[in-house]
Amino acid sequence: MVDPLIIGAIGAGLAVGIAGLGSGIGAGITGASGAGVVAEDPNKFGTAIVFQALPQTQGLYGFLVAILILFVFKTVSPWAMFAAGLAAGLAGLSAIGQGIAASAGLGAVAEDNSIFGKAMVFSVLPETQAIYGLLIAILLLVGVFKGNAGAETVAALGAGFAVGFAGLSGIGQGITAAGAIGATARDPDAMGKGLVLAVMPETFAIFGLLIAILIMLMIK
Amino acid sequence: MKKLKAVILDEKIDSVVRSLHEEGIVEICDLSEKLENVEWKTLLSPSPSADYVRNVTSLMIKAGRILDMFSSVNKKETSIKDLLNPKPIEKKKVSFRSYEEVINYVEDILSKVSSEVDEPAEKLAELDNKKSKLLQLKEQISYLNGLEFDLKYLGIGPYVFIGTGSVPKEKTAHLKEELEKVADGYVDVFFGSEFEKDKKIRVPLVVITLKEKLEDVLSELRKFEFEKYDISGVEGTPTEALSKIESELKSIDAERNSLIEKLKSLAEKWEKELLAVYELLSIEKARGDAYSQFGKTKRTYYLEAYVPARDAEKAKNIIESSAEGFAFVEVSEPDEPEEKIPVLLDNPKPIKPFEMLTEMYALPKYNEVDPTLLLVPGFLLFYGIMLTDAVYGLFLTLIGLFVWKKIGKVNEGASKLGYILTLAGIATIIMGIITGGYLGDFTYEFFGFDITQTPFALVNPLGESFYINSKHALFSLGGISVTNGPMAILVFSIFIGLVHLLVGLCVGFKENISRGNVGDAFINQGIWILLILSIFVGIGLMFAGASSLVAGGIIGIFVLLAILASMYKGYKSGGIMESILGAMDITGFLGNVLSYARLLALCLATGGLAMAVNIMAKLVNESVPIVGIIIAILILIVGHMFNFVMNGLGAFIHSLRLHYVEFFSQFYEGGGRRFNPFKANREYTTTA
Repeated sequence: MVDPLIIGAIGAGLAVGIAGLGSGIGAGITGASGAGVVAEDPNKFGTAIVFQALPQTQGLYGFLVAILILFVFKTVSPWAMFAAGLAAGLAGLSAIGQGIAASAGLGAVAEDNSIFGKAMVFSVLPETQAIYGLLIAILLLVGVFKGNAGAETVAALGAGFAVGFAGLSGIGQGITAAGAIGATARDPDAMGKGLVLAVMPETFAIFGLLIAILIMLMIK
Repeated sequence: MKKLKAVILDEKIDSVVRSLHEEGIVEICDLSEKLENVEWKTLLSPSPSADYVRNVTSLMIKAGRILDMFSSVNKKETSIKDLLNPKPIEKKKVSFRSYEEVINYVEDILSKVSSEVDEPAEKLAELDNKKSKLLQLKEQISYLNGLEFDLKYLGIGPYVFIGTGSVPKEKTAHLKEELEKVADGYVDVFFGSEFEKDKKIRVPLVVITLKEKLEDVLSELRKFEFEKYDISGVEGTPTEALSKIESELKSIDAERNSLIEKLKSLAEKWEKELLAVYELLSIEKARGDAYSQFGKTKRTYYLEAYVPARDAEKAKNIIESSAEGFAFVEVSEPDEPEEKIPVLLDNPKPIKPFEMLTEMYALPKYNEVDPTLLLVPGFLLFYGIMLTDAVYGLFLTLIGLFVWKKIGKVNEGASKLGYILTLAGIATIIMGIITGGYLGDFTYEFFGFDITQTPFALVNPLGESFYINSKHALFSLGGISVTNGPMAILVFSIFIGLVHLLVGLCVGFKENISRGNVGDAFINQGIWILLILSIFVGIGLMFAGASSLVAGGIIGIFVLLAILASMYKGYKSGGIMESILGAMDITGFLGNVLSYARLLALCLATGGLAMAVNIMAKLVNESVPIVGIIIAILILIVGHMFNFVMNGLGAFIHSLRLHYVEFFSQFYEGGGRRFNPFKANREYTTTA
């Protein structure tokens, strides 16, 4: 039997690597729009930084899970570690969607400061997927469902895949949120309806989360 | 809101408008649209803006021009100290009873200022003009390198024209021959040494020709991209002329500086006064412009206004007393459609600042419930759970107090935000103590003291604690026992989520009933209320010892009921397809509930990242000799600041999201129009 930490280390690498990939692309998209905004009005630098910070959180969650795997929960089953990394990493790709939404939000705020709060709320929507990924990663690592095959054997990967790939719905959600920000900028009353539309793609992330929890609970 | 209608004698209208504007409790309605109606037209004619507005506007332009000049000579730098501890503006006390008094006062001040400022200002503009001309001349002469001749000969003489300019270097080759062709040889050209301008090499030249040939020569020269220099009024060789211009520029600069100093001291003396004057004029203009919203008969004005119900009597009294009885006022319920009536939020002082969060979503519609009070407890609780660190909470409280008390003195928005942050900080401290988070696990990493294993912390978000561990399960239900922190927080989050949704649903239910939509109330809210209650009952029964089959059965029945009801709702609105979509409502409900699981995830993210920072600092401290401790301290400071800012921001937005998306969708629509009172906006003056 190989050292359990070897499989865990792969998980840690996936967590930082894939989530970093997502965050990098997302922050890049927002940064490009930020550069345009700052060129027009240098005072908007602070706003640009705040919006660019949003898609970076996914990378941070990946980093957090990697640290947890490598330093804190060294004793849990290797497959749980691997699956935790997978969940946090794949779900971190939602940062691409968040980057798209944040770049639209930044553009809208550059035109009209008063919709800052609304743009912020829309830009935060695609982060839900990453949070679900983080949630599953932590549930796996902490050993909440200890003793269940779904949380300790190779089946745990199923949970990681479920919440991870479902987390890609964040990209779609980001695109919807970007459109909704545009609509809200033109008509502030459109916010409620925009939110309903933008929350739709999240349904699939919730399915993923649900299945992941069922996998961890049921298989014995 | 009440509608106020008043007829006022024209002699008294100025005094009525002034008192209403000073009090700022009514929103005047624009009647111009109404007056196009034939019935109204026979009674009233539209009223133009007051006559004095034109006078006021021209005075405003005059004052504005002087203020612009002041701010250009007397640039103010806002230091960081001023930004962090702004001084309130000194207000000038004023009391005017009519627009004539204001205009007289302003004209008096402006003529005083003009008599002192106009002369130096004009002189300064003259000098600036002269300077820019000299600078242009200097530039052109500086290009004439290698052409030593007296510049006074330039221009048209009795027989000969002498001119100067430059051409690109590559065009110089055949220039002379071509010119001689068009001028029959009565032309001569001298080239100077080349120079660079706009990344192109150019060569200066002097051209001499007969006056009669001037036109031909110039048009030929244009083909060679000739740029003509208009140098006149200068004597001596280029070098001599340059040094002369230099000294002239110096004396102009000296004169300018002394003028600017003089204007600066004038700015110090008058700027405050002028800002007050400008504000007085803007207020008068707003008053004068308000006339255009009234209707008019031969001797009276007719106005309509919205007034908050509690101020209605006061507004009526103000009009009657300031018109000295020459007014008829009627207060009634608004007769317009609801979407035209403005909305004013009215909350008790402790939760007033939270109106900001409601407004960020949308103001309630007229007669819709104001969700501010409902939002406060949930917002603070969620914020506390998501940041969960006593030290971070303390930081946040201090920052909040600072923004509230210091910056909030001059900025109302900052004051509100500071208040909200202070309360959120206190909530964070409480939740931090409950979860034993003090800069994450700082005490454990550096002193080996794990606070989560002592009786001082209730739950440990990352594992077992003194109270909840594998020996002391919080409770066991249906084969799952809550033996560690994350599980306990997850269960708590879902429970809070259900309660939160239940509150929202009940408010929506009541709203629908009070509007008479009993059917809607049951289909949109009632079935979900029953579902949540059945979940509570089912789980309660399980605690009481019933089997999970019974509990599952009870919940299952209500799930089925909810699906059927939403299918029926869909069927009513759009047939079979819609009814299939309606069945999906149950997943929406499930999504809303599971969404509250983010409370656990974000709670863990703060503690976990703080721990990551601590671990890194510890590693560096132990593995790098001597400087290690300095780097470790740096990592701690930067890392915790970063974590604090990121998660502080995240907690704020995610608390809002839980309210806007999950909570508001149960009962709140929003989209009202803000009550925009007719109010004097005073920054530099005061009447009190």
